[in-house]
Amino acid sequence: MSSSSATEAREIGNRIVVAGIAAIVLILAVAAVLLFINLPDANAFNMRVEQLFVENDNLTSNAEIKLLEILAGSGTAFSDTLASYRFVIFVLLIFATALLVAAVAFLVMLIALNRRMGRIERQGIEVNSLTISRDQKAVYLNDFEFKLTDAAIETLSVLAEARMDDEVLTGAEIEGVISGRSAADCDEAAGATRIKRLRDTLGNQMMSELLVKNIARKGYVLAIDKDVIRMI
Amino acid sequence: MALMLSTTIAQAACYADYKAKQDDPLRLHYGVAEVRGDCSVRSAEGQLRDRLDDDGWQLLNVLGVFDDAGLEERKESAGEFFLRY
Repeated sequence: MSSSSATEAREIGNRIVVAGIAAIVLILAVAAVLLFINLPDANAFNMRVEQLFVENDNLTSNAEIKLLEILAGSGTAFSDTLASYRFVIFVLLIFATALLVAAVAFLVMLIALNRRMGRIERQGIEVNSLTISRDQKAVYLNDFEFKLTDAAIETLSVLAEARMDDEVLTGAEIEGVISGRSAADCDEAAGATRIKRLRDTLGNQMMSELLVKNIARKGYVLAIDKDVIRMI
Repeated sequence: MALMLSTTIAQAACYADYKAKQDDPLRLHYGVAEVRGDCSVRSAEGQLRDRLDDDGWQLLNVLGVFDDAGLEERKESAGEFFLRY
């Protein structure tokens, strides 16, 4: 039930992300179009000069007309500059789009990470890495190092190999792999004992690492934040 | 009498001064041209539009029509476009 609602929430979240990014791209595309439409076209200066020429009947001498032509020419040169500005602004708009899209993506990632962190906090320990070191007789869970006996290492290795092959082992099978005999000849209880011993040693050490700490020559203390303790 | 007067005016030389332009790049000119037939701004516009168009100029407006008396004072302003079209 809760997993289905979680999938639903994720789907809704994905839709919101897609909609948000689409909205950003749309808004900036509209801005770009408005930018290209609203900048004065190259002919605007020429038209103004022409209007001036027509409206003033006494602007007839050669020198005055030449001056008007120069005015129009410089206006046209300026409009070329405007065109290059327009291009620069357009490039900046593209950059802005990319940055905004990235920002939204990062925001969503942050929210997802926060949720995951919350789940991990509630769940207790989540194993991100399991390293078995046979020569040091140790197993590394995330950053914690746990010392194990030879037998426990053997059991853990068998379980790890079976997990990598997506297999489930019965107690008899575990005992069979470790002792080298056929599983049919092995006792189910022998495998169960191996599992129990592995759980005991690993569980003990995990407890001591994560919950009940032993500080040498001082004593024992709970390895948790005191704010989270509540008595009911 | 009135008819005679109007024919004499019609037969006297008739000129118009006008403004014209070319696009890309913008070029402007003021010119004086002779008008044939009816001596009015409207007929001058009709005639000048065609004459200027042959040379790639676009007529902007005709300022007015006048006879020989007004010719000299406009000669300098019109420059190379004095009676060219």
